[in-house]
Amino acid sequence: MATNRLPDPVAVLEAVGEQTVRFFRKVVGTVLDMLAAVGGIFAMCGRILWLFPQALRDPGAVMKQAMDLGVASLPLIFVTSLFVGMVSAVSAKYQFRNVVPLKYLGTSVTKLVLLELGPVLTALVMSGRIGSSIAAQIATMKEKEEIDAMTVLDLPPLRYLAAPRILVGILALPVLTTISCFLAIAGAWGVCVIGLGVTSYTFLSGTRLFFSSYDVFVMEIKALVFGLLISLLGYYHGIHAGGGAKGVGEATMKSVVSSSVMILLFDFLIAFLLLRNTGS
Amino acid sequence: MPGVQIDPNDEIIQLRQLRKSFWTTDGEQQVLQDVTLSIRRGETMVIIGVSGGGKSVILKHMIGLLQPDGGEVVVEGRVISTPNYFDAATIRRKMGMLFQMGALFDSMSVGENIAFALREHNEGIPEDSVDEIVARLLGLINLNPAFASKMPSELSGGMKKRVSLARTLAVEPEIVLYDEPTTGLDPITADVINDLILDTQKQFHVTSVVVTHDMVSAYKVADRIAMLYQGHIIFVGTPDEVKNTRNPYVQQFVRGQRKLESVAA
Repeated sequence: MATNRLPDPVAVLEAVGEQTVRFFRKVVGTVLDMLAAVGGIFAMCGRILWLFPQALRDPGAVMKQAMDLGVASLPLIFVTSLFVGMVSAVSAKYQFRNVVPLKYLGTSVTKLVLLELGPVLTALVMSGRIGSSIAAQIATMKEKEEIDAMTVLDLPPLRYLAAPRILVGILALPVLTTISCFLAIAGAWGVCVIGLGVTSYTFLSGTRLFFSSYDVFVMEIKALVFGLLISLLGYYHGIHAGGGAKGVGEATMKSVVSSSVMILLFDFLIAFLLLRNTGS
Repeated sequence: MPGVQIDPNDEIIQLRQLRKSFWTTDGEQQVLQDVTLSIRRGETMVIIGVSGGGKSVILKHMIGLLQPDGGEVVVEGRVISTPNYFDAATIRRKMGMLFQMGALFDSMSVGENIAFALREHNEGIPEDSVDEIVARLLGLINLNPAFASKMPSELSGGMKKRVSLARTLAVEPEIVLYDEPTTGLDPITADVINDLILDTQKQFHVTSVVVTHDMVSAYKVADRIAMLYQGHIIFVGTPDEVKNTRNPYVQQFVRGQRKLESVAA
């Protein structure tokens, strides 16, 4: 006959205690792993920056990366930037209706593109294009023991693989972002003139109104930092990839996700540092 | 090996009570439990053992790609296995390694692969000299100089391993480590690789450590054979001693028998 005995309260307490300890151990472990990863990334970044002069002694390797990562990204930048500019103009016109004079349309789009959309969207698109490419390349090289082969030949991967890619990442993003901003403003101008009934003169005089070179400076700073983040995280996740196709896939995914989050975080930090006390 | 004088007291690599574990999804896996092994200058030591048993892990410790959890790796009298020490210039450049799949740099041609370390370690070396060395090394591995312009993706598995050997020899190492040099090759191509290992030892007087489970290759190239079993070196001897040993584990392995009992019978 089945008995309806109550569970032993001591056993229940022990089980709850054990689960709680296990949970906190896991949380502490995860936090410690994250801190170790952040520390590792900072340490690696320092060593790579130190290696830039050596990387520059081989302009061929840097140029190859510039072509692969920078120039090859231009078609993507062209398409995304044009559409971003066009949709910005349409959205701005919609919000301005009967409230804000259309002469401020160009001003609004230019400010928005230079300070926010240009650098952030270019960086997000490039984290998928450059960051994932670096992560997949390095993870595949690791999987095929090419990284070990370099180490054995006393050719440090940080010098020969990381430094040229990160140098190009830092240099390419400001250039790509500048092109992107120009194209976005051009796209906005085009859609205003062709589809929104705003004259070219109204739009262009708006872009010149309140134009500040400081905005361009902030844009370039953001692009430079984003370029470092994208290429650094791409390399970091590639070199720490697990084995097989799964490892390569996870490295690529982690590179895009982590750089996207870091881009948004640093976007806020840079804006807070550079914009909060200006213009008042 | 005939013609090669080996001093039994001149130990170029020593592994002392090496321990190494890896964390897997199943928990901690202790691959090397207590590996002690000495390799004499100029000899070809073959390490045999089952796949996944830790043979390649031993090689990676010898060249500093892995750090042990315990024990020491001593190369030419220097302990290279301490976390803070790895004198790349003096130790690593004396060593070369041929990886299981060749590990050629995919983005470079065969010639660039061979010349990469050569150019980087000899700043200002004339391109004529580099081309000459590349052609000589290609000749050594029985490949036409025209192969210098081919990409690794155009090569067969055996060719990749040969080019990898040429790349290793380009930096004139004193010690060459071979990780499964004949795995995945047909018997004839495997024999070509075996001959290359022998020729390399003869011509360059290198010390070789070969990891393999191919007993044909082991008997052909080895001066001595060491067997790794469950994280321990359980036997070291000449090929003849391996053939004649009564150690049941060694006999089980070299005869390729599934059950240990059948060896003892």
